[in-house]
Amino acid sequence: MSDKSSQEISLDESQRGETITKNAGTRARYKEKIRVLLVNIFMALMSLLMVFPFLWMFTSALKTHDEIRAFPPTIIPESPQWSNFWEAWTSAPFNLYIFNSFFTATAIVILHVVTTALFVYAITQLRFRFRNLLFGIVMATYMLPVPVTYVPSYIILSWLGWLDSYQGIIFSNAVSVFAIFLARQSFLQVPNELVDAAKVDGASHWTILWKIFFPLTRPIFITFGLINFVLMYNNYLWPLLIIRSRRLYLITIGLRQFFIEQGAYGVNWPLIMAASTLVVMPLLILFFITQKWFVKGVGGSTGVKG
Amino acid sequence: MSEVNNAKSLSLWDKMKNEKVTAFFFCLPALIPLIVFWIGPMIFAFYLSLTNWDLMMPVYDIVGLENYRFLFDNPEFYRTLWNTLYFTVGSVVPAVIGGLLLAIALRAKVLGRIIHRTLLFSPWVTPLVAMAIVWSWLFDPSRGLINYLLAAVNLPVLPWASSSDWAMPVVIIVSVWRTLGWSMVFYLVALDKIPDDIYDAAKIDGVNFWSKLRHITLPLVSPTTLFLSVVLTVEALRAFDQIDIITQGGPAGATRTLLYHYYQSAFERFNAGEAAAIGIIILLISGAFALAQFLISKKYVHYQ
Repeated sequence: MSDKSSQEISLDESQRGETITKNAGTRARYKEKIRVLLVNIFMALMSLLMVFPFLWMFTSALKTHDEIRAFPPTIIPESPQWSNFWEAWTSAPFNLYIFNSFFTATAIVILHVVTTALFVYAITQLRFRFRNLLFGIVMATYMLPVPVTYVPSYIILSWLGWLDSYQGIIFSNAVSVFAIFLARQSFLQVPNELVDAAKVDGASHWTILWKIFFPLTRPIFITFGLINFVLMYNNYLWPLLIIRSRRLYLITIGLRQFFIEQGAYGVNWPLIMAASTLVVMPLLILFFITQKWFVKGVGGSTGVKG
Repeated sequence: MSEVNNAKSLSLWDKMKNEKVTAFFFCLPALIPLIVFWIGPMIFAFYLSLTNWDLMMPVYDIVGLENYRFLFDNPEFYRTLWNTLYFTVGSVVPAVIGGLLLAIALRAKVLGRIIHRTLLFSPWVTPLVAMAIVWSWLFDPSRGLINYLLAAVNLPVLPWASSSDWAMPVVIIVSVWRTLGWSMVFYLVALDKIPDDIYDAAKIDGVNFWSKLRHITLPLVSPTTLFLSVVLTVEALRAFDQIDIITQGGPAGATRTLLYHYYQSAFERFNAGEAAAIGIIILLISGAFALAQFLISKKYVHYQ
């Protein structure tokens, strides 16, 4: 009798316990849902905040001179002035500037591909004295603050007669230590059997490099090619130092010049924003199409174990 | 077929010689520009810093450590050093901490992760010159959106880039805006490498968010933290575009960092010796910094 009742009580208790855990379970799930919602809202706000300057640049480019100075500011322009883009584009030789930037950046990236492939093949596949020392010296320059070299490089360029020239911009940037670092990692992962088989067939080093290594490690070349293209397109200080004539202006220098000139009589913000949009857009589009390569490069370039 | 025979008939000595010659020619295209525009200029910079060359006259004197003495005798130079420290700490610390927090948040169940990642990373890709112009419009003291928003919520309106107190924060905000998503991507990669079972074990033990962060996440991402702080510091020491567009080192030298001082010495005052000396000081600072971080890493960084 007493046994039974105690059993009943215990049953009752266990049941109650179950409902409590069930309640706690739903509460925890509820909490989790709120947490997920909050994180989503937070991330949406952060992303919006980060791209806001782009949006503001774009809408400002579409405003009239009066509307852009209006208080309170309008978010969406009342009557979008699409002609601003054309006006900005034609009020300075932007097509020339864009060409200069694309041309030099492309030439530099091609040089990076060649110099990197050859150098990395040598230090990973060929045996010679001081091989590791050589790699160490090259990597040490990665940490070197580039500005230290500006004044001496400027003088060296002037000795070569390459100041204010395409060659000057291109050849002073012909090597990318970042590219060497990335490519070395993937060259080391190419299976030895493939290389040995090619050697048995009598293939030269040149053939092995371009027929075996290059196709197998192409992703890394695309990655650093894109990243370095962007860095060169955005490059400002070094070209500013070595370029004097307008016909050689890169887009960054041309835009800064335009900014100064348009600011002379009260800043003409709509036109400046339109010009900035035209300068930024090619890169944003390129990036949105190729974003996974950038992320790969960044992830791979940590140089971090673990 | 004959090629194969040839290859096999080469003696071991020939092969080794062949390999060395190939290595030489393969290294050359990379080494020539590297020596002419990187390593050579490095050594040249030391020499230049001991001269009083003005970049134009063919003659100059060796003045020893005079350039360095002149710099360290000048109170303005200490201001430049302070500005550099202010800018570096101000732009590196928020980018590292913010990058980690964003990465952690993004790994929670967030919709459209890749879209977020792309949007947050995009500032790093775009030309800083163009975006610094946009930021200078946003921060315009009289007509800018930011002051409008501040006024709208009854906060004091600020003079931003035109005041020596607020110019540096503007430059720092622009820099952090640019690098935040970039450092987040590094942390995303690092967090992906942490095995799930570590977190599962912590979950069973009922560990809360903060101690999970302190005892699991932070130690495991410490190599990334170290790497980012070194690289971002080197980046901060060479920051130029945003300063040149927004403040030109002003007002009254409030945003003149070492690099901006270097630029002004060399290309506005044509004092190559002084500029080279500043360059060497930048080099020593980044070297000391990298060394310090390396030593710290030996003690605190956990490599898996």
